Amino acid sequence: MAIKGIPATVGVSLIAVALGIILGLGLALMKMSKHKLLKIPATVYIEIVRGTPMIVQALIMAYGVPYLIQNQGAEFRWPDLVIPAIMVCGLNSAAYVAEIIRAGLQAVDSGQMEAARSLGMPHAMAMRLIIIPQAFRIILPSLGNEFVSLIKETAILSYVGVVEILRRAALWNASEFETFPAYIGAAVCYLMLTIPLSKLVAYVERRMATK
Amino acid sequence: MIEVKNLEKSFGDLHVLKGITETIEDNQVVCVIGPSGSGKSTFLRCINRLEVPTGGTVFLDGEEIKAECINKVREKMGMVFQNFNLFPHMSVLNNVTVAPIKVKKIPKEQAEKEAMALLRKVGLEEKAHVLPSSLSGGQKQRVAIARALAMNPEVMLFDEPTSALDPEMVGEVLEVMRKLADEGMTMIIVTHEMGFAREVADHVLFMDEGVIVEQGAPEELFGNPQNPRTQAFLSMVL
Repeated sequence: MAIKGIPATVGVSLIAVALGIILGLGLALMKMSKHKLLKIPATVYIEIVRGTPMIVQALIMAYGVPYLIQNQGAEFRWPDLVIPAIMVCGLNSAAYVAEIIRAGLQAVDSGQMEAARSLGMPHAMAMRLIIIPQAFRIILPSLGNEFVSLIKETAILSYVGVVEILRRAALWNASEFETFPAYIGAAVCYLMLTIPLSKLVAYVERRMATK
Repeated sequence: MIEVKNLEKSFGDLHVLKGITETIEDNQVVCVIGPSGSGKSTFLRCINRLEVPTGGTVFLDGEEIKAECINKVREKMGMVFQNFNLFPHMSVLNNVTVAPIKVKKIPKEQAEKEAMALLRKVGLEEKAHVLPSSLSGGQKQRVAIARALAMNPEVMLFDEPTSALDPEMVGEVLEVMRKLADEGMTMIIVTHEMGFAREVADHVLFMDEGVIVEQGAPEELFGNPQNPRTQAFLSMVL
């Protein structure tokens, strides 16, 4: 039944979003940097990831990468297909999160950086103490929405053999031939995750607005 | 002492500062006046390199202010902005203590004690634990002054500190600045408050189109301006 896939979907999404935030922050800072050596790789990475479908990325990571390594003569198999799945979702999410974070950082009034620097703070300290905490409030709702879309996008992972919500539904359909209930069940499972989460995001957004 | 030598600044094709040379002695209060777009604020912002000058040099106590040592220099130069630029995610007290604690590594307790004394000085002791958003403009600017003073600067730079304030709040901010001047703080003030400049300044600079057109003691500059541009400007604002 589809509902048994919820832990896998939630688990993959949670780890991926955490990965996405950490990598995304790094990418955002790199993209905003004045140094070309940082800026260009980040820009290229973001463009490539946002410009290709996640299912293609998932197939490359799950099957393409092991094939490539085996062709070099080394023995390699993913011990569990959940590993490339999490990596793909995290790496994919990082590109989107990077753009969200960059927009958030740039939305903080430039006077804040000036005030911090005028007090003798080095640039990195000003970012850490003054800019990032303020950007975080701006970013949080978009980040929540990114998490919601990531949950839905993990459905793609059923194609690379991760037994999450959609895969459970498909397997159940294969054995019971209950096609309509199987896929409606999957849809309901996703809604059970996304509706409360969207409500939470909206609530946080309202709280932030009144502050 | 601040020495400015042949300071220039361009933004692309726009030549904002066209060679400023000026010396500001310790304990002196210098007011910079002039029409909008004359380069007053840019001049001030070039002194602590919030704008990087395109030419010329600035010395603080005989040492050239360069990019490499800028953080150390800024510790000695407090700055107050037109739009306050308080940190909205921090309480008033934290606004004042964050730089002493993080930049100067002063122990938290000591920094808070000193911050409370500064807040008392600007009349906002009871607001220590609120967020800046609940303060009036005048109160915000007084906190901003306390925040700059918390680093124990040798010089204070004021960039039109009362221009964003409602008229009824200008007085309270000027009062705090007057107190500072009386204590002998070295101050450079870009202002449109001619009455205040006349009363508090030791020296007034009149800027127009990127140069210092005329300067002198306030009585002379306001009472008997020599340059026609100074005369024209003062006749409009006084």
